[in-house]
Amino acid sequence: MSTDTRPAAPQHASPAAPRRPAPARRRRRRGNPLAGLGSLVWLVLVLVPLYTLVSASLMRQDEALNGDPLAFPTDPTLDNYGTVLDSGFLALLGNTAIVAVATVALVLVLSVPVAYVAVRTRSRLSSLAFRTFLLGVAIPAQAVIVPLYLLIGKMGLYDTLYAIILPTAAFSMPVAVLVLSGTMRDVSEEMYEAMSLDGASPFRMLWQLAVPLSKAGISTVAIFSALQAWNGFLFPLILTQSEENRVLTLGLFNFMSQFGVNIPAVLAAIVLSVVPIFAVYLVARRALVNGLMGVGGK
Amino acid sequence: MRSGIFTPGTRGTRWVAAGAAMAMAGLLAGCGSGGSGGGGGSITAYVYGDDAVKVQQAAVDSFNKTSDVKVKLVSVPGTDYVNKLRSSMGSPSAPDIFFNWGGGSIKPYVDSKDLVDLTSTVKNDATLKDGFLPSIMTAGSLDGKIYGVPMRGMQPVMLFYNKSLFAEHKLQVPKTWEDLQKAITTFKAAGIIPFALGGADKWPELMWMEYLLDRIGGPEVFRKIQNGDTDGWGDPAVLKTAQTVKELIDDGAFGKNFNSVDYGNGGAPTLLNKGKAAMHLMGSWEYSTQLGKAPEFAEKDLGWTAFPTVAGGVGDPANVVGNPTNYWSVNARTKHKDTAIAFLKTMASKTYAQAVVDNGDIPTTSNAASLLSSSPNPEFANAQYQMVQEAPSFTLSWDQALEAQYATPMLTEISKLFAGTTTPEKFVEAMKATR
Amino acid sequence: MSHHTPAKRRGDRKAAVGNVGRPPVGWAVPGILFFAVFAIVPLAIAVYLSFCEWDGLNSPTPTGLDNWTRLFKDSEFGQAAWLSLLLTTISWAFQTPVALLLGVWAAGRQRSRAVLSAIFFIPLLLSTTAIAMLFHALLDPNFGVIKEIGPWIGVDPNVMGSSTGALLMVAFVGGWQFMPFHTLIYQGGARQIPEVLYQAASIDGAGMVRQFFHITLPQLRHTMTTSSVLMIVGSLTYFDTVLIMTKGGPGTDTTILPYLMYRTGFQTYDLGYAAAIATALVVVATGLSLILVRFSGFGSMRSTREGM
Repeated sequence: MSTDTRPAAPQHASPAAPRRPAPARRRRRRGNPLAGLGSLVWLVLVLVPLYTLVSASLMRQDEALNGDPLAFPTDPTLDNYGTVLDSGFLALLGNTAIVAVATVALVLVLSVPVAYVAVRTRSRLSSLAFRTFLLGVAIPAQAVIVPLYLLIGKMGLYDTLYAIILPTAAFSMPVAVLVLSGTMRDVSEEMYEAMSLDGASPFRMLWQLAVPLSKAGISTVAIFSALQAWNGFLFPLILTQSEENRVLTLGLFNFMSQFGVNIPAVLAAIVLSVVPIFAVYLVARRALVNGLMGVGGK
Repeated sequence: MRSGIFTPGTRGTRWVAAGAAMAMAGLLAGCGSGGSGGGGGSITAYVYGDDAVKVQQAAVDSFNKTSDVKVKLVSVPGTDYVNKLRSSMGSPSAPDIFFNWGGGSIKPYVDSKDLVDLTSTVKNDATLKDGFLPSIMTAGSLDGKIYGVPMRGMQPVMLFYNKSLFAEHKLQVPKTWEDLQKAITTFKAAGIIPFALGGADKWPELMWMEYLLDRIGGPEVFRKIQNGDTDGWGDPAVLKTAQTVKELIDDGAFGKNFNSVDYGNGGAPTLLNKGKAAMHLMGSWEYSTQLGKAPEFAEKDLGWTAFPTVAGGVGDPANVVGNPTNYWSVNARTKHKDTAIAFLKTMASKTYAQAVVDNGDIPTTSNAASLLSSSPNPEFANAQYQMVQEAPSFTLSWDQALEAQYATPMLTEISKLFAGTTTPEKFVEAMKATR
Repeated sequence: MSHHTPAKRRGDRKAAVGNVGRPPVGWAVPGILFFAVFAIVPLAIAVYLSFCEWDGLNSPTPTGLDNWTRLFKDSEFGQAAWLSLLLTTISWAFQTPVALLLGVWAAGRQRSRAVLSAIFFIPLLLSTTAIAMLFHALLDPNFGVIKEIGPWIGVDPNVMGSSTGALLMVAFVGGWQFMPFHTLIYQGGARQIPEVLYQAASIDGAGMVRQFFHITLPQLRHTMTTSSVLMIVGSLTYFDTVLIMTKGGPGTDTTILPYLMYRTGFQTYDLGYAAAIATALVVVATGLSLILVRFSGFGSMRSTREGM
């Protein structure tokens, strides 16, 4: 794995108007002792909890409670991981994967046209819609959980994975529309004109011009909504009940009571919950990092 | 490890999840799925789904061998029990018989006249009348009327202690308030926390309130509150209870850290079995918790006793608080009331009681004493049974006895009292004001 | 959010007005409808419910302004609102400087910085639930790491048992999780600052600190707004953290608005009043974001639009 975090600048910049020269090396090489020191402090703050997480998950229950929590286990064991895997962990993972994939798909299918219309038309309606989404960023999902339950119930979706997917997708849309319209706006008018001279339909323009040139924004949105689905806790907590439809976060929460007295097993469950996304991180770190950078605008 | 709703750890989270879902499910009651109802020669029984279900399933199977009308047992997963029940009770697919905790847990159904009043049935039937411990029958009743028949094990709250710590410091197990004070002083001086308390979980604090109020003012004080009179909180005994709590805290009876100690994650029980704390007020499930967590300690050093008297209190020291048991109640709309009651009667049978014992629980039947020797832990089982049998009163845990709309603010106020963010006087005022 | 060179493109767009190939507005309808059904309509229902009494069992009965008058008199609501504000402020004040420094620092191209950045990212991979559970275990006063390290760094092992400590810890844990995200945002922003600005400043003899305050900071203004809006709305998701780490305690001293709403709605079944709290929450969150946007131009895209 490469350790270079360079955000593949050209890919992310506006394809039509690269407005920034390649960064000069000189300044970037300059040291900054203060921030350097700060970053080392932060490094410790990040690593100590992570280290304890892993090391305690390898301990036997008794050692975890008796021993020095900072010491490495004297007799590392994988038993705790066995306990967790035997408790239906893989099913949880499967559900979360379904939810994440479906959420991403739904968000993209719905948000791309909205952003495209917002960027390419000037009607009052599209402007209103855009502003609504802009405001939507500030709507906390918690606020609508009560009516949402009513709605999901009336639709007959209570205790299904749809009950998690649909609201999660809806609440990812504001950021998605914002990010996508940000990227799409950078596709230059000349290119559209060139395409329309060829007699291209609006759909073809979207599919062959706007979408390919907005790859960066699209991957940002995909990553952002996947993380939303991955992280979601409240919707699963209230909108599902049965074990078949349990997702990872809720499963972890239940492990906390199920394993109650067995702290290493709880920690092992946490570690296992990170493994899949950590694998993604190792493989596609650059895309992930750049994608998230994109949430903040370019 | 067993996982009844009162089992440690699961309790808090289950209430959260069940509660959340329940309120919502109420909404959906109107659009229920129709369902088969109670017709066609069968009745449905909802039971809380956990390890103990096999005991009920066996009872149902044997009942169905002789009965024309068959019982169909539906095991509803624990987290969803309250929710499923609440939503189905308003729909055509309501169960004929259902598991509950008595008290506040059935109040909404009593109010909506959905339950069969079993008072006269029980009075006129020797099997039911004499089959169960009297304090258990009373504990589950509401306004003096019986709506349920006991069907699972008992879970009284007891004072657990570390035997070797008491021996080491030459202390007697506290029977009186004076003993208790002495133990507190001695252990504190030795750097040992007198009482482990999982304050982060809130409900362990409730147990202290329950016992103190019972010892100080007797069970009548809370009974009044339970019957819907919030002025009952104005009883001087409540204030005294709150003040006593404050004194204990100020004395360091619970150590300094109890507000961040959990029960669920094993914090409090571990303090006890590691000898860092000397005593622990907890439900009888503490025994099996310790057995699972520190078997050696549980077998050698774990002692148990009743809650001591409180100086100047009028409550009988033999009184018990906790979760008496679970009950079966009968839906008033059932088409087979006789079958339902016949099934309920089997709960008093020796066979059933034996099955409960074999599952590691202590049945609440009057015939249980003779069975306990076959329990996996006979000594503890006997002590527990005797304690409950001799108890003039068994007060149901307050958070079960009261409806959620009162129980939740109560738990909040109690946790504020323990955290020191409210005073005993303000606590009383706040409780009187709960709507 | 393109604030660097809108002028040129604005001209282009004007020239292009009225050209062909515009998509039908109808394309946006499915997305808008979907968002409306799952976000806007529920919001409206929540507002409606805030004027009702509702136990979740029977139908809601309108009670006029009862919930709202109660809300303004309710000391618990007051406390929760104050705590929410406090938590948001603390989180912002903690995360912004750290993320800003780390982000600007990480914008450099050194290999060491790249390695550290890769490590800093890890907390973002854990779910909020997992992080809250992890810290819950670490902060156990008797068996957690805090017992060992607490005294060294001057933290009372009973930190979760003290009102201030618990609130600060919730803020810290939130920061621990989201710092990488905000760091990335700042890192992205810092890399876009034109190098010429620094070169010019160096020629003028400006030192590093001066450059930071006179170039980096002003240039990151929009980035800061974006990050701040996300932090403010994001600090509401600390609900999960509070539920798992403190259950609103000790006492009610970490009971922030979302948790109070949850408790009122789903533990006390006072759903009408819970809806009033929820509505208040939306008003506050939207209000704060609007203020931020207005005074910093987060909606700069809007100005770009106007030029279209």
